[in-house]
Order: sequence, then C-alpha cells, then structure tokens
Amino acid sequence: MSNYVIEMLGIRKEFPGIVANDNINLQVEEGEIHAILGENGAGKSTLMSILFGLYQADKGVIKVRGKEVSIHSPNDANDLGIGMVHQHFQLVHNFTVAENIILGKEGSFVYDIKKASKKIKEISERYGLAIEPDMVIEDITVGMQQRVEILKMLYRDADILIFDEPTAVLTPQEIDELMNIMRNLAAEGKSIIIITHKLEEIKAVAKRCTVIRRGKFIDIVDVATTSAAEMAALMVGRPVNFKVEKQESVPGEPILSVKNLNVMNAKKVLGVSDFSLDVRAGEIVGIAGVDGNGQSELVEAICGLKPIESGSVYLNGKDITNISIKERNDLGLAHIPEDRQKRGLILNAPLTTNMVIKEFDKAPFSSKGILNYSEIEEYSKKIIERFDVRSGEGINSRAGKLSGGNQQKAIVGREITSQPELLIAVNPTRGLDVGAIEYIHKELVAERDKGKAVLLISFELDEIFNLSDRIAVINAGKLIDIVNTKETDAHSVGLMMAGIKKEA
Amino acid sequence: MKKTIALALMLLCAFAVFAEGAKETTATTAAALKIGMVTDAGTIDDRSFNQGTYEGVKKAADELGLECTYLRPNGTTTAEYVTAISDLYDAGYRFIACPGYLFAEAVTEAQKMFPDLMLVILDSEPTEAGANTVSIYFKEEQSGFAAGLATALQLKDASVGFVGGIEIPSVQKFSWGFQQGVKYANENYGTKIAMEAQNFVYSGSFADLALGQQLANTMYASGVDAIFAAAGGTGVGVINEAKNRRLAGEDVWAIGVDVDQYLVGDMGNGQSCILTSAMKNVGEGAYAQAISAANGTFAGGSIITLGAAEGAVGIPADNPNLDDDVEAKVLAVLADIAAGKLVVADTADGLHK
Amino acid sequence: MAKNTVKIKKPLMEIPFIKSMIVSLTTVLLGLIVGGILIIAIGKNPIEGFQKIVFGAVSNTRRVGNTIAYATQLILVGLSVAFAFKTGLFNIGGAGQMLMGGLMASIWAHNVTFLPQPIYYLSLILVAGISGAIWGLVPGLLKAKFNVHEVVGTIMFNWIAYWIVYDAVKVFIVDPTIIVKSKPIPMQQSLRTEWLASITQHSYFNIGFFIAIIAVVVIWFILEKTTLGFNLKAVGSNRYCAEYAGIKVNRSIVISMGIAGCLAGLAGLTYFLGFSNIMEIGKSPSEGFDGIAVALLGNSNPLGVFISALFFGMLKMGKGSLTAIGIPTEIADTIIAIIIYFTATSVIIQGFWEKIIKKHSEKKLLKQAKEEK
Repeated sequence: MSNYVIEMLGIRKEFPGIVANDNINLQVEEGEIHAILGENGAGKSTLMSILFGLYQADKGVIKVRGKEVSIHSPNDANDLGIGMVHQHFQLVHNFTVAENIILGKEGSFVYDIKKASKKIKEISERYGLAIEPDMVIEDITVGMQQRVEILKMLYRDADILIFDEPTAVLTPQEIDELMNIMRNLAAEGKSIIIITHKLEEIKAVAKRCTVIRRGKFIDIVDVATTSAAEMAALMVGRPVNFKVEKQESVPGEPILSVKNLNVMNAKKVLGVSDFSLDVRAGEIVGIAGVDGNGQSELVEAICGLKPIESGSVYLNGKDITNISIKERNDLGLAHIPEDRQKRGLILNAPLTTNMVIKEFDKAPFSSKGILNYSEIEEYSKKIIERFDVRSGEGINSRAGKLSGGNQQKAIVGREITSQPELLIAVNPTRGLDVGAIEYIHKELVAERDKGKAVLLISFELDEIFNLSDRIAVINAGKLIDIVNTKETDAHSVGLMMAGIKKEA
Repeated sequence: MKKTIALALMLLCAFAVFAEGAKETTATTAAALKIGMVTDAGTIDDRSFNQGTYEGVKKAADELGLECTYLRPNGTTTAEYVTAISDLYDAGYRFIACPGYLFAEAVTEAQKMFPDLMLVILDSEPTEAGANTVSIYFKEEQSGFAAGLATALQLKDASVGFVGGIEIPSVQKFSWGFQQGVKYANENYGTKIAMEAQNFVYSGSFADLALGQQLANTMYASGVDAIFAAAGGTGVGVINEAKNRRLAGEDVWAIGVDVDQYLVGDMGNGQSCILTSAMKNVGEGAYAQAISAANGTFAGGSIITLGAAEGAVGIPADNPNLDDDVEAKVLAVLADIAAGKLVVADTADGLHK
Repeated sequence: MAKNTVKIKKPLMEIPFIKSMIVSLTTVLLGLIVGGILIIAIGKNPIEGFQKIVFGAVSNTRRVGNTIAYATQLILVGLSVAFAFKTGLFNIGGAGQMLMGGLMASIWAHNVTFLPQPIYYLSLILVAGISGAIWGLVPGLLKAKFNVHEVVGTIMFNWIAYWIVYDAVKVFIVDPTIIVKSKPIPMQQSLRTEWLASITQHSYFNIGFFIAIIAVVVIWFILEKTTLGFNLKAVGSNRYCAEYAGIKVNRSIVISMGIAGCLAGLAGLTYFLGFSNIMEIGKSPSEGFDGIAVALLGNSNPLGVFISALFFGMLKMGKGSLTAIGIPTEIADTIIAIIIYFTATSVIIQGFWEKIIKKHSEKKLLKQAKEEK
C-alpha cells in the first residue's frame, strides 16, 4: 500500500517525571534522506533509540517495510537492516578499521580478515568513503572515524541508516564531505534518517523533515519548499530571529586589561605570547581564531585556572594576576566555560547545588558556615525560571539528566545572575539549537547593554560577527589585530586567523 | 527520621522474637562432655600450634566418643577470645583448650565467668590463679637443643641461622636451646658449626610468609646452610625459600618447629628440605588434659611444665634427612637431659638473641 | 490519570535515602539467601542457622552489649570511609589511623591519671582524634602536593603505623611479663565503666558507642548542612568544576582526609581502650578494612553506616553460635563477603526494583482504566 521503509506510529515513551515521546509519527520513504528536527531535549534521540532497540516504547507501532515488528535490542534492529551512527563512536582505538568492522561479526571461530578487508575496500570505493581497511583508528581523524562507523553499517548490509547528530564533532570541510556521502548513499537506494537541529544541514541534504517539539509530533514538511525560518519557527514554536538585534555600543572604562601576557600550554611551550587586550564596559569583544591557537590558555589564565609565565591581568583597575580564583570571582569575573560538563557543572549534583556553586559560602546562602537551603532553592528556582531551564524535577534534577542545551542555559543563567563586571563566554552556544542560541545571544547583548564587559571566544565566525563590537584575532597565541566589527569582513578576519595581517 | 526509628525498632522486635525460637534448643544439659578449642592468631591447619592442639583434643574426643569442635575468633583481642569461649560455653562445651600466650587475659576472665568450665592454656597462665584452669608450659630449650645438636652433627662444617616470630619467651627458648645444642656438638663431637649474631633474627610476625622468605633469602645468600625457623607462618616462608634453593641444586636446609614439619618442606619429588624439627608436643599436652577432664580428674589451678622427661619435646621419631648415627646420638643426649644429667639453660647467657 | 502516574511512581524509588535502603536491604537478603543455600549444602537447616546468629548477637544483655561493642568501631571506621567516599577519596588507611589513635590514647591513658573524668574523656577524644587526623592528613597532603594517590599513601601509612606501634608499645607501655603487648589499661582510665559493665553482664559495651553516635550526627550535619560539607562534596563530585568555582581543591582533599583520619583515630580509641584494653604488637585491626564494607552497605550515608555497622556487629558477634549446631562460622564470613559483592553491583539491583515498580504502577493504571470504562 505504501512505499514506506519505516513507519513509527503513535509512539509514546515516558521517563520518570517526563514524557519524552508523546504520540509521535514518523514515516520514511525508501531511498530518501529524512531529517528529524527538534530542539535539544525534544525527544529525537529517544525516538531513534526506540527504533534501534535501545529502549522499548510504552505505546505505539513500528513497521519496517510494511510489516509490524518488535525491536528489543540493537541486534534485532541489525537483523532488520537498521544501522545507527551514534554521536559517540563505538570503536576500539588500537584496532584497525577492518578489525573494528568485523568485531562481533567474526562469523565462525576463525575469521578471514583478508576477505573482510576486500569487501570493506569495495564498499569504501563504491560510496566514496576513502577508508583503507588496515588503518588504525587512533591514527585517523574524527571525520574518518565517523566514516568507519558508516562502513560498519554498510558491511552488515544495513539499508536504513540512522545518523544521530552526525555533524556535532566535524569541521566544516568534513561536514561537506559527509553531506556528499549521504547523497551517494541515498542515490544507491539506502534510506537515511538524520537527527539534527542544524537547519542548514537539513536544507543541504534532506528531502523531507519531521519536526518534533517537546516530545510531540508537530509537522512533516517538504524541505525544498520550506524556508529555514519556517522550519525554525516550527521547531521552537515561535518565529526565530537569526540576526541579533542590538544597538550601537557605548563603551566606557576598560574592565579587563590584559598586558603582555605569556602562558604555557600543556606541551610546555608558550600557548599565549605577549598578548595584550582591553575589554571596556558596555562592549563585546570577540576573539576569533581557529581552535587551538591559545584561546583556552588565555581564558584559563585570566580566570586563574592556569599559571601565568609573565605579564599581568587587571580587573576594574585592580591587579588580579596573582590572586586566587575565588577572589577573582568575588571581584566580578564570570565565566561560561568551554567544557560545560567538565568545568561548568557537577553532573551528579542537583541544580540547586550547581546554581550556588560559586556563592554557597556567602550570605544569604549560608551564614557562619551553615547552609540556608530555602534561600538556595529560591535562588535556583529564580534562575531556572528566568532562563527557561527545562528539567524533569525542577531544581532537584541532577544536572547530568538535563539535555545539553538546558545545561548550557543553566550555566549562562548562573553566571549572568551573579551580576558580574566581566563575563567571559567560551563557545557559549556550541551544540545548541537555534532557539537556545537566539536566547543566549540576547542575554549576552543584554549584559553589554547593562554596561558590563563581555569577552566572547567562539570558533564560529558567524557568532563572532553577530555579537562582537570589536574583534580580536588570535593566531598561534599571538594577537594579530583588533578591529571594529563594522570596519571589517569575514574575508579579512579569515586571513588574519591564518596569521596574515593586512597592510595598514 | 521518625519512620526510620520506628522501622529500626520494629526490626529489633522481630529479631527478638526470632531469637526466642532458638533459645529452647540451646538449653543444654551437659550429659556428655563436649570438647572445644579456640584458635589463636593462626588457622586450624597451620601445621603448627593450632593444628597440634586440635589433633590432641580430637584424639581424646575420638577415643572417648565425645563431641569436639574448634572456633576461630574474629580477631586476637581479649574481647574476641572471651566471646569465642562463651560461644562454645553457650553451645554446651565445658572443656576448652586455648593454645598460646595471647589467651592469658581471656582465660582469666572466662574462668571467673564460667566456674564450671575446664580451661587449658598453653605457653602461658592466667594473670590471676583460677581453680578451673590448667596451664601448660614446655621446655622449648630442650627441644631446640636436640634440633641444634642434630643439625650440627649432620652438617659437621657449616653455618646456621635462626628466624623467630615475635620475641616471646617460648620462641626465645627455642633459639637459646638450639644454640646450646650446636655449641655442645662443637665442643664434644668436633663439629665446626658457625653461628653469627646477624643470622639470629626475629621477624616480628607469625604470619608474614613473604617476610620469612625474604629473610631466608638474605641469609642463604650470605652463606648460611641451615635455618631454624621458629615463626609459624613466617617460618613457612623460610621453608619455601629452602625448598626453592634445594630444587635449584643448592645444599641448604631448614629446621622446623612445634610439630614435625617434614611435609611442609616436601619438594614434590619425595624429598623434603626439612632436616629435622624442634618438636613441642602440644597435642599430647592437650590430649592428656582432655582425657583427665572426661575422667573427672582435671586438676584445675595447676601449672604443668612438660619437657624431655615427659617425652613432650625432642625431634621427630622419623628423620629421613638425618643419618642413623646422628639420630642415635641425639636420642642418647635427650635421654641424658630427661634424666637430669645434662641441663639446658632457658636463659640467654652468652648467647645470641 | 496523569496525576495518579506521578503519585504511584514518586514515593519509593525517587527518595534517595529510601532508595539506597531498599537496595541495601536487598543485598543483605541476597547474602542471606546464598548463605542459606551454603548451609543447606552442608546438610543443616538455614533457618536454624540464622536463628543461632541472631541468638548469639542478642540473646542476653551481655551479648547485646558485645554486639554494640563490635559495632562501635565499625560505625566510626565506616563513617571515616564513607566521609572520604563522599568527597571523592578512598581512605583505605583506617587500620593505620586506628593504630595511631589507639597508641597515642593508650600512652595518654597510662600516664595522665590526674584529670577529672569528663575532662579526661575529652582529652582522650582529642588525643586519639588528632593522632588519627594526622595519619589521614599526611596522605592527603601527599596527594595534594605530589599527586601521590591516596590509596597508595594510606596503605603506606598503615605500615608505618604498624611498625611505630611495634616499637612504641615496647618502649612506652609494655607489659613486663609479655613483651608483645601493652599493660592492660585500668578500667577507670579506659572507656569501660562499672555501670555499663554491670547492666550488660560484663560485656565490652563502653562509652565509645556514645562517641560513635555523636560522630554520626556531627558528620551528617557537616555533610548536609554546612558550607564545609558542600565544599568537600563539590570537590568529590567534580574537582574540575569545584576548581572553576573557586574552591581550593587541594585544601579540601587535605581537610577531608584529616576528618576521615580523625574518625578512624576515634575508632582506634574505642577499639583499644574500650573493646580491648591492651595493644598487641605485630597486629593490625581488621576493622580498618571492614569499614569499607560498612560504608558500601550504608551507601556512605551516616545513618546508613550506623545501621549497617550494627548489622555487621550482629554477624560478628552472632556467628560464633553457629558452632552449636555444627555450622562452620566461615559461613557468616561468606555472607558478609556476598553482601559486599552484591553491594558492589547495586546498580543492577536498583534497576531490578525500578522495573518491578514500573510494572506494578502500569498494572494499577491498567486496572484503573478498566474500572473507568
């Protein structure tokens, strides 16, 4: 009756305190690239985990090629020709590509690695994956590892391929390559489901798109005839502004002054060298640069997380070069860290703990060493309400149970609510959906408008241009130049990021 | 919180009711004597003190058809020993053997707590005399003497050493007797056995196998040919080292202690690295007391010292690694000791540790 | 409908303390079941065996007193390990800290005979607590300054304590008749009292138990109600985040190990001046390691530690009575070992209960739905 390879009808899945999937429908045609679009925590991954047998649905029907099936484990899914590329690859690092691919599929006791290698090579060439079977996983790039995962599915004759946020870990070039591979696969008759919240990717490859919001099925749209803005609105539930609205900045006195700073990196060579920069009250200074050019070292040195070789750092005119992290925080330094799960939150502690982690020893959260829980709870509640942090059990939810976007919103909320003089934001929107990005951008601008100084570090040039009043470009730990955003363009900043300073 | 307390109380009540059921079964009327033993720091199969004692009481129980068991306490404090003794007492045991000096306090307390309990303590005595405890000491110096003599006569020209456990009188006396035995051989039979002060050591433990092995390794490497190991489990380490070296072709020996340790030194080829053992027949001592307890002739309050005259110390009857004439000479000297013709000192006068 | 779902699901497994209690009770039950199977395997009646254990632990006031006396040091060492666990550290140095606490308190007890009783007790607590604290603090410092793992550091300190006791007992408090142990401490200088002995038929029940109870309350308070506890738990859960938040991580490690050591030092006090009244050389108290099991079963919660220590105390005290019916006491040790094993796999047990409860609530919902129809 239909040519749907996959049909999921009326799927419901509940977790304690939260309905992750509520009556969701998904219909994928043969040979199509089908996108599932939704905010962080909307229930996309849950839905796919059900299809892949990692979870069982509480309610609903799954049909594969028109036949009703029940999938209890990834093995069942594999038998039905369903394969999945997870966000975190499942590869043995010191094994070769071929060994990883046949792992668990050795067949008989003695396995024929040569035969397997030959088949791997054939598949790799057929789909343009450019993978050699005898390469060792730890020696190859993340993008290539992902292609090994794809190969693994194809080797096992999967013809329905699920990609869970496949571009989160890739560089722009690698993303382009992946899009090409997907098109090749679809052209060969494979059906592809891609989970994402990045609209441009959907526009680039997908034919149709199912939109999910807060666990509910919203719509299914034809990608070619729907604009990115329309899709974004469907996903978030309201119109989304891609361009940040902001007034001209009115900078005041310098809040942060970095003077001739030298910092060693993990390899014991200068990661930041002779770096000087001022960030004034009421402005956003963006630091543009390719990942690994000293941004982390710079931020950690300013925050006191890394020792300084030489040079000095001033906050509000006060020399903070040699004072403790605590004292810096107390002087009004706030920091949205690069790695939210490692630095930003205690994942196994409730939100209450996380919201006062920097201030628990101050009034009103404690007095004379005794904690005041009602104040802590009230304060936490205020933050999660104002910053719309969604969680299963409110302020008592463990931070680790929140989706990435909500974790980030919690951190942003905490840092902004602490009323800092200087806010350092490192990749504040990495991995977030457009709704959350829009929100966080607005908050950063609001801080600026309140007369605070904001130092923004981002690997996404768009974000730097969108937010910054001035752009400082860093290359190999050195400041190349500082320019007014209005007086420059992506091309010249790109050149500077490569270390080429234009003639004055 | 309230709920927890309530829950705890409920549990306690449940326990009490539960325990009630067990009570009737334990109200024992001691029709026949039950014979028990509490182990000291070691295990029941230590091939030494505990095992020797248990074999003694078991033999008595088997002969008389009585019930017999042992109990291993949780630890080595007086409290734990007393607990073990009272556990046996409550289970109807009225004769309990306690091997070792560690029991002194516990036996003192237990004899007060249970006046109808017959207690035997080996190598020590209660701190206050009690009418229901028999204390048994051994003349370890005589046993050590015999082993030292045998070693000297067999090896003729060699260097010997000693590894003790903790420096307590019973172990010290073994060492002193051993040295006198060697000296006796050097003076009367013309042997040339060297005894150097640094080769007489106490490991500080009765249970450190690795330490024993390490100490032995050092000694053998420095030219010692035979080591007298009076150190329980630590001594087994010494014996293991001797075994390894013999298997590697070296001509080294170990001398066992307390019981015949020939089999401890078994090398798997029918041979043993145990030259002989300085025996102290704890089993016989415990056996005799168990028999008299069953016969109603238990002499509580007495202190007994057993030596060569009682046949309670000496070397094993069978010593495959000793020449026949060596064995004969040792037995002759032991007879002299038993008869009082030869006196072995139980002090350190002029000797190593 | 929706309201009901929440109602049914919430109470049991969502309250952390109840949750861990259910998991702990399950592990105990499993331990008893496996122990019971072993008893059957040697041809005895398991119910009778368990009755004997309970009998041995509580059948008269002396036995109850001794059960509590066993539990006393287990509570304190268990708290020590649990406190360190909560702050992300593994204190395996309970034995050494007990030895040092016990040694210093013993020397004190033999020499300071002029203080009035309440002040004397307080001085004992201080001496033992500080000695133990130092024995935890130094490994903490080694970790903070030189990144020596606390497991390595504390094990090393166990041996240092062992040999210090070995020599110090001989030098300061030796029993002249037997040089391998200290002179017994007279009752008025120890934690034992005439009164406690008289109400429990001369058991070893001593005022150490009250010290342990106070310690449970104090530790609970520190962990749950104070900024210090917040601080230490933050470091324990994620030291990178704590560092970022301005908490002095190294200082926290040292403080945490100090407090853990102090608790174990107090355990040494109750052990060597209450449960026992002598120190032997060449012995290391096994309680130092039993504390790990107590903390695991108690889910590192102070109240949980208290209950699980009493339970272990019962097993320790009660198992000797198994001999009465010819069951080897090793069965009781096996039960303890199995419980520890199951505790280590508590995630699985938790999952099992969550499944059961979910099924149950679904059934209820289904029933309700039918009735509504």
